[in-house]
Amino acid sequence: MTEKLISHTNLDRLLARLGERGRVYAPARDEAGEVALGEWPQNEPLTLEYGNFRQSPKAFFLPQNQTLLYLQEGQWQEPGLPVRETFLFGVRPCDARALLLVDKVFLDGDPNDPYYTRLREKTTVIGLACAQTMPSCFCTSVGGGPGDAAGVDVLAVALETGLLLRAGNAKGEDLLSSVAGLLAEATPAVLQAAEERIRDAEDQLAPVLTADSVRRLREAYDSPLWETAGQKCLGCGTCSFLCPTCYCFDITDEIRGSVGRRVRTWDCCAYAPFTLHGSGHNPRPTPKERWRQRVMHKFRYAVESFAVSFCVGCGRCIRNCPISMDLRTALKELGA
Amino acid sequence: MTRNPYLPYPARIQEAIVENESRDIKTYRLAFEDSASAAEFRHLPGQFAELSLPGVGEAPFGIASAPTEADFLLFSVKRVGLFTAELHSLEPGAPIGVRGPLGKPFPWDRMAGRNLVIIGGGFAFTTLRALIKQILHPEHRAHFGSLLVVYGARTPGELMYRNELAEWRKRDDLDLHLTVDKADAGWNQHVGVVPAVLEELKPSPDNTLAIICGPPIMLRFTLIRLAALGFPDDDIILSLEMRMKCGIGKCGRCNIGGKYVCKDGPVFTRQELASLPAEY
Amino acid sequence: MSASHQIEARLRETVEKLLREKKVSLFLGFEKASLPFRTTPLFLTKTQEVERLAWNPFCTANLSVYLPRLFQAPADARAAKAAPPPPTVGVALKGCDARSVVALLQERQLPRENLVLLGIACPGMVDRRKAEKALGEHEALGAGEDGRGNIRVVVDDGTEITLRREDVVADACLECRSPAPAIHDILLGTPVEGKKTETARLRTAEFESRPLEARWAGFQEVVARCIRCNACRQACPMCYCKTCIFDQTRPRWIGAGTNISDVAIYHLVRAFHLAGRCTECGACERACPMGIDVRLLGRKLSAEVEDLYGYRPGEAIEATPVLSSFAMDDPQDFVTEP
Repeated sequence: MTEKLISHTNLDRLLARLGERGRVYAPARDEAGEVALGEWPQNEPLTLEYGNFRQSPKAFFLPQNQTLLYLQEGQWQEPGLPVRETFLFGVRPCDARALLLVDKVFLDGDPNDPYYTRLREKTTVIGLACAQTMPSCFCTSVGGGPGDAAGVDVLAVALETGLLLRAGNAKGEDLLSSVAGLLAEATPAVLQAAEERIRDAEDQLAPVLTADSVRRLREAYDSPLWETAGQKCLGCGTCSFLCPTCYCFDITDEIRGSVGRRVRTWDCCAYAPFTLHGSGHNPRPTPKERWRQRVMHKFRYAVESFAVSFCVGCGRCIRNCPISMDLRTALKELGA
Repeated sequence: MTRNPYLPYPARIQEAIVENESRDIKTYRLAFEDSASAAEFRHLPGQFAELSLPGVGEAPFGIASAPTEADFLLFSVKRVGLFTAELHSLEPGAPIGVRGPLGKPFPWDRMAGRNLVIIGGGFAFTTLRALIKQILHPEHRAHFGSLLVVYGARTPGELMYRNELAEWRKRDDLDLHLTVDKADAGWNQHVGVVPAVLEELKPSPDNTLAIICGPPIMLRFTLIRLAALGFPDDDIILSLEMRMKCGIGKCGRCNIGGKYVCKDGPVFTRQELASLPAEY
Repeated sequence: MSASHQIEARLRETVEKLLREKKVSLFLGFEKASLPFRTTPLFLTKTQEVERLAWNPFCTANLSVYLPRLFQAPADARAAKAAPPPPTVGVALKGCDARSVVALLQERQLPRENLVLLGIACPGMVDRRKAEKALGEHEALGAGEDGRGNIRVVVDDGTEITLRREDVVADACLECRSPAPAIHDILLGTPVEGKKTETARLRTAEFESRPLEARWAGFQEVVARCIRCNACRQACPMCYCKTCIFDQTRPRWIGAGTNISDVAIYHLVRAFHLAGRCTECGACERACPMGIDVRLLGRKLSAEVEDLYGYRPGEAIEATPVLSSFAMDDPQDFVTEP
């Protein structure tokens, strides 16, 4: 796989070049002072100083709201699918890996989801490896890592002299060759420095799951611990909405007469009405069942369906939960 | 290019007949607006479709017509909420969208060469009508052993598809037993709940598959009865009712354990269900 | 020993006694969380675990949000027969939290006789986002209170940084006029003085000073980041409707997306549903994952209710909620001369 070095100066030029081919999103400080993927170029300068973005990049592929169909004169019409190329720069390896997981449902699943698929086809993901981790990170416990290339087309590693760019697949190779003039040789010293950066980051992470976690969770289905933890859950939806692998959605019609649209919006299994039947029966009636569903779905059911857990260890749920639930604590208490 | 799975096929209501005495179940006969849609929509008994009314939304309904009933689709709809109330107000000629066919059908291949015990309760009989009609078709009947059908409802007026039932009673290639909780003056068949009738009939589990559709309470006691008669869990087939939205295993609404009821079901064996958390 | 450490010790003693003497079967408090600047709620039932109880500058949550659920009436007569008797619950309450309990009692959502209210004097709690921002590029590994009430933080490179309390205390606390718990069965700590009304209304006054178009633009800017997660509603103790208007489907009042019209209506309606009921605890803005100033409209409505009707919710159990009553001399020129 091609590995090249780009200077920090040339990085801006790279983004500008990509901007000629499509829409570019790169990290910069937003109005709230937090680093987010914003449309490039913008007033704030590019920054590589961030842990991770508040929101996950899943919104680029599965937006908070999306029109599925338009109704015109009583007939359903499909919306035109996007044609613009999109480039995301600075996506953390955990978030990139999450895309591969959501692909299993939306892209590889039968039938595939045409809206998601089209956006994935039209988007190039340039990842940025982590040199620092946060206390809430645990990617290595769930099959990822700070320098993991799963889900990226090109992986960047920030170094003193510039960024190492490593193509992850054919799409990545094409991108690098298209900007070859901006790139320099990646010397063995550069490659070494990159490896050290990544290894340093890996060393900061502590393991979370046991090798036996799926079986433990299966056995723990009726554990009273679900109640002791679950009763704290407010059902606020923050964890799901920020989670890079949560994909549940609702479908509603916003129609008057014979004109309008059918739209899908993010939904959350922690909401009480999620499983509410019209009859009033709710199979998950209290926060305990819903908390259990969340943890089980990520760490057990997903493994049973897809042979991989659906958590990438990004830590957003832990950092943002208004009452500081930590699913690592829950897993530990359950012996998983 | 494959069809967008969220896009309904345009169809029209040809006929809407009231199915039961309390008048809250109507059977709709639908026809596709164009022959291309009709040709694409190939279903098997046990599958369902999402019926679509713009501005109201969608809801899943078991397909009551057999694949051998070529030119139309039948859906029986009980009026219980927003969507079904709206549907009940529609007249023949009204347009309606159909998305499907969706879900896993009854295990047609597994059924070949076996004796069949088909058990239905109340409104859940819809997809069983599709199955029985398909089995009874001259091209198929010889592939199966004996066919025992037990169908129960609260009162005689609540039994569905009474025309079909009358015809089936005359046939000698199936053994049809109808039962009601509360009889009326003209009733001369079983009185009692479905599990009680099973107790009476004592079907043998040898080389037999049991297929059950019914309300939760009927299911519970029927399963107990079947277990007592020696039916192994893998030979008991059930159809699960669940709240659904997309119907294609994406939105997560019908997710139980590692399964999506819309995609991995709604037909499951009892053994498969036993491994799922009891959240339905 | 810092002030909060002292209170923590007394809290543990007090709760141990309450549980041991079976005065309560459950105590709602706080315990250490896995990340710095945070605590997590503790539902304590065992005396042996009383050492888990914590009291520190990070006890931000309003625990009264859990109370209505603990006392929910059974669905029908049959469920009522099978239901266990309601528990006696003790709960740790700051001034703002106590106002929420009073407001819930005013609205008949809780049985007073089943509650043991442990009021704790609060000098203001730390906003974790302000603290994290103040650390710049450093990552906090641990944080605690020093003898002066400031926050001492150990950061990633092993060094210690002290953050001044007033720099990182929550905005809601900077505007707090009710630091002394309005009702309590037990009180720990000495309450500080509340802020003056003028100070508490500074942000509202600033916003109000802008011209009308700027205010509308400002409001839209504030809610533009809303992702419709409903965290603000779920964290709010006064949002206890069995079916929220926005969860209704017949009819569906607004779309669930981020269309500015839907977002604006959500926030406007919530603000109006809380007018005269919001006890200004700030749980909503703390819960918001997008850092939105959720209380922008609510602060103004609270001020209006106070100025027009002389009423602040959550101050006295016997007081009738202002929008559930009227007096013949109620101001009404906003109706006749809008």
